[in-house]
Amino acid sequence: MAKLLTMEGMTKSFFGVKVLKDVDFDLEYGEVHVLLGENGAGKSTLMKILSGAYQTDSGSISLNGDKLNLSSYDPKTAEDHGIVTVYQNFHLIPHLSVAENLAMPIFTRERGLIRWKDVYVHADEVLDKINYEIDPRARVRDLPVSQKQMLEIAIALSKNAQVLIMDEPTAALSRNETEILFQAIADIKARNIGIIYISHKLEEVKQIGDRVTVLRDGTKIATLASKEANLDEIVRLMIGKELSSSQQAREVSFDGDLFRVEGLMSTYLSAPISFAVRKKEILGITGLVGSGKTELARAIFGVDRLSGGSVYLEEHPVHIDSPETAVKLGLGYLPEDRDSDGLCLNLGVKENISMVLLSKLKGLLFSTASEKRTVSRIVQSMDIKAAGLSQQVKYLSGGNKQKVVFGKWLSGGCTLLILDEPTIGIDVGARGEIYSLIREFVAEGEDRAVIFISSDIPEILDVTDRILVMSGGSLVAELDPKGATKQEIMQHSLRGRRAVE
Amino acid sequence: MKQVESDQTSGTSSSTGALFDIKQLRSNGTAGVSSGIRGLSRNQGVSMLVILGVLWLVLGLLSPYFFTVDNIMEITLQTAVIAIIAAGETFVILSGGIDLSVGAVFACSAVVGGLVLESTGNLPLALAATVSFGALLGLTSGLLIAKLYVPPFIATLGMMGVARGLALILSSGIPIYGLDEGYKFIGQGKLFDVIPVPTLIVLLVYILGYILANRTRFGRFVYAIGSNSEAARLSGINVTRVTIGVYVMSGFLAGLASIIEAGRLGIVQPAGGNGYELLAIGAVVIGGTSLFGGEGSIIATLIGAIIVTTIRNGLNILGVNAFWQYVVNGTVIITAIAVDQYRRRR
Repeated sequence: MAKLLTMEGMTKSFFGVKVLKDVDFDLEYGEVHVLLGENGAGKSTLMKILSGAYQTDSGSISLNGDKLNLSSYDPKTAEDHGIVTVYQNFHLIPHLSVAENLAMPIFTRERGLIRWKDVYVHADEVLDKINYEIDPRARVRDLPVSQKQMLEIAIALSKNAQVLIMDEPTAALSRNETEILFQAIADIKARNIGIIYISHKLEEVKQIGDRVTVLRDGTKIATLASKEANLDEIVRLMIGKELSSSQQAREVSFDGDLFRVEGLMSTYLSAPISFAVRKKEILGITGLVGSGKTELARAIFGVDRLSGGSVYLEEHPVHIDSPETAVKLGLGYLPEDRDSDGLCLNLGVKENISMVLLSKLKGLLFSTASEKRTVSRIVQSMDIKAAGLSQQVKYLSGGNKQKVVFGKWLSGGCTLLILDEPTIGIDVGARGEIYSLIREFVAEGEDRAVIFISSDIPEILDVTDRILVMSGGSLVAELDPKGATKQEIMQHSLRGRRAVE
Repeated sequence: MKQVESDQTSGTSSSTGALFDIKQLRSNGTAGVSSGIRGLSRNQGVSMLVILGVLWLVLGLLSPYFFTVDNIMEITLQTAVIAIIAAGETFVILSGGIDLSVGAVFACSAVVGGLVLESTGNLPLALAATVSFGALLGLTSGLLIAKLYVPPFIATLGMMGVARGLALILSSGIPIYGLDEGYKFIGQGKLFDVIPVPTLIVLLVYILGYILANRTRFGRFVYAIGSNSEAARLSGINVTRVTIGVYVMSGFLAGLASIIEAGRLGIVQPAGGNGYELLAIGAVVIGGTSLFGGEGSIIATLIGAIIVTTIRNGLNILGVNAFWQYVVNGTVIITAIAVDQYRRRR
């Protein structure tokens, strides 16, 4: 008998960079096939090819043994073939009822007045597909997360799904809710539907997976039967060969704390957080997406309101209630999304760089001549490539944009820089320059330090003096980069979640 | 850099009429190397002046009255009122907001000033009351926008109703006559018998406005907030305070403009300033300031105000029904913005 789904030789390049290299993947009837890999390993690209969002550069896809015509393959045809993605609530309209949400295809298809009887009949038909009670009259926004998830599954099944793609379905679920989901998955399997299950939670491979495929750097590394797979082995497969720590020994003595937080709490953090940054130190904070790294940075910088805890700068208690206060105290924050939070894109290089400097000044007037001098000096020393000081920053490359954000904080004379994913979307060469800037920054003053947040483990190992690992909104480990391995950090990031649950 | 150059050269091709060319030349001037923070670029200035020249030429040919001393004085005085209101509106729009209440605030602060003059006879007090009340109404809008996060459109639309209502209530709907000679001097007087006082006030407002926009922290923060308020906030800028300041200024200047108009007409009209928000916003957008904030120039607004006033004056002397002026003003604003949007999308 033919397999439910066979993908052969899936290859995809973006702008000349191969993100998927000749990947084979298959799915049996009634099977849960877990897809694992780090961020950027190619999981979502592979799934986007399958769901028709991207077109593969080569290879073939067969469903029930029949080759699909890939030249005209798009999301619509994928769904017509019963290849359906379970969305994470993106699809639902919160202030409408369950039945109304389910009736959306009817609403868009039929003209004239709504026949409410049909709407509820349709809702019952769809909800019957899952073995789970949901009130069709309840408003979607009032449903708990698990019920929304079930609703999404019901919607997917109502599209006559043969292949279900589930992307981190348990990310937002509690332990009990996860049990309910797993029961639903078992029911779906019993109907010969195949499930492709993407997850970061390794233990789920054992709990519900039949087989597991590991991707790394766009290549398929292995496909194993779940029963025989060893979790440590899987981690090793995910991250590749053990990298020896390439940390250049930075001979620095750290004397005293520059900045310390005790029992920090905010709505977005699951547990109180305490840590200190020492003078001249580059403190790394890592963790998976959603581990609370950015939330911690925002809480420290006064962007999100704190609900508890105390903060000390040079042993003095400080109260940071807004970014303005943080900046006045000498903190700087380089946000993860530099275009939307870090830069005024239609202002010039000069206006962006001098922004922090000006916000710290007093009085109405300022000297445009000294502004120009300061900015020129920074542009030169950082080697920012722009057509002139007035060039709008939207025309700069990613690396140069990031340097502008960096320069903004350097011009402002700050002492503690919080960098959130400073090298995201930046090419290798510019990355090196950013690393040097960070090292120079801490080297140039006695009372300086950097909090370096990144989910890129090799870079964390390479750049920082000490590493904190976050998982599920709390700190789970503290490591010395000299002895730490990528695998160790990965295990803390992954297992921490389990510990939290 | 290649990208920049191509951006600068793109968009020179299409032309759909005089007004549109202005917008295009203007944006070509600022899109690339200049960030548009300084005064207006040469292209922009020249093309706006060309439009103005063509407008004057056509009107001069159509009506022999257009180039009379009386009419030119009339244009100058009308320009003064709109230009002063538009100066405040420029800062509001640069900050990414909009102030729809300027016409009503104009009327309401004039009424308050007129009543103070009636009851005290004290001219400086009346003038101070006028601009302070304008500023107070602006402060209210600013607080609603910056503290309660009411969208600027709604906050100032509401303020428009409130201020207009207050103007009518306080004055019982009756114009205030018998204004002081001092009022008339501000509205009609001439310094050394040559320079009209309103024109002097306009120059003063625009010189200060230029300095504010280009040489002060406040001005820079207005651009920053208009360009990306989150980035501005994360850079330590007090977005709340700057936003409030912008609306206070807009209210203050609407009050100031109302003194000139009261002096010119010799009365305070509670129904005055009707539709001035349209003229002021028109002057700003014709001057090329982006309704999305962060891009534009205060000097261009002055030329925009002259253009808007010229169109209005031209319709008057050509005997076009006054009601049509609203239609024309509305059309001019929509056209200017539609062209700007079209250009951005391409």
